[in-house]
Amino acid sequence: MSLQHLKTAVAENDSEKLIRYVRLHLGDGNEAAGRKEIDKAWIEALKLMLDVPATDREFIFATLNNQTPATLAHLYFYLHFYFVKRSGAWIHDGTL
Amino acid sequence: MTELSDDTRQLRPSLWETINERYPGSMITKSDFIPLARLRKPLSQTRLTFVSSAGIQPKGTLPFDVVHPVGDFSLRRVPSASTISELEIHQIKYPTTGALKDLNVIFPIERLQELTKEGVIGELTPNLFSFIGYQMDPERFERTLAEDLADAVVADGAEAVLLCPA
Repeated sequence: MSLQHLKTAVAENDSEKLIRYVRLHLGDGNEAAGRKEIDKAWIEALKLMLDVPATDREFIFATLNNQTPATLAHLYFYLHFYFVKRSGAWIHDGTL
Repeated sequence: MTELSDDTRQLRPSLWETINERYPGSMITKSDFIPLARLRKPLSQTRLTFVSSAGIQPKGTLPFDVVHPVGDFSLRRVPSASTISELEIHQIKYPTTGALKDLNVIFPIERLQELTKEGVIGELTPNLFSFIGYQMDPERFERTLAEDLADAVVADGAEAVLLCPA
């Protein structure tokens, strides 16, 4: 799946192609695994919130307000892998 | 290894067709013929460098960006005198079980050091080089990382380059 393929999908607003790529990317080439990985990351994040711990919302708002959308998108990918790793169920071959 | 080769053909001229057959409509279109450069003196008198896509880097350097959906177009210099304990792997696209037991299976720095001591290789460049092989944009790769690698290899005075995909 080439970069041009993805850019064409963006231009054509073809969400199916884009989500297929995201799942393949996050699932090491396995679309079903990628879907589970996305769920796994969200579950891990949810678990951390259930006891309503103190969090640094000032940091969150400063980050959202002061960083570029591209940096936030990059951070989003990092957060995905952070929570997947934190879950202890690591399906990937190597090391972050 | 020390014989000079007259063979300047590409080793696998059908490589690009093979890739595009397996990944139809994607990845790479490459029609340029790039002849291999001839080694002009014996390996035992040659300054060799090593370039690997294995994602090897000195501990303490900024980890390769393995989460980026398009890739990381940066390189890392690995001092050729490094010990394995000074190096680490950052990538998530190939099995590293063997490499974590012995890094030489993917980045044979100790073998290269030994061959240099034995005189099989003239010397190693001050640095060896690594990057991560996951790259979604071959044009950007060619325009940035490949150029940076070429410049770095030349700056280190390499006379021959051993390329090793992970």
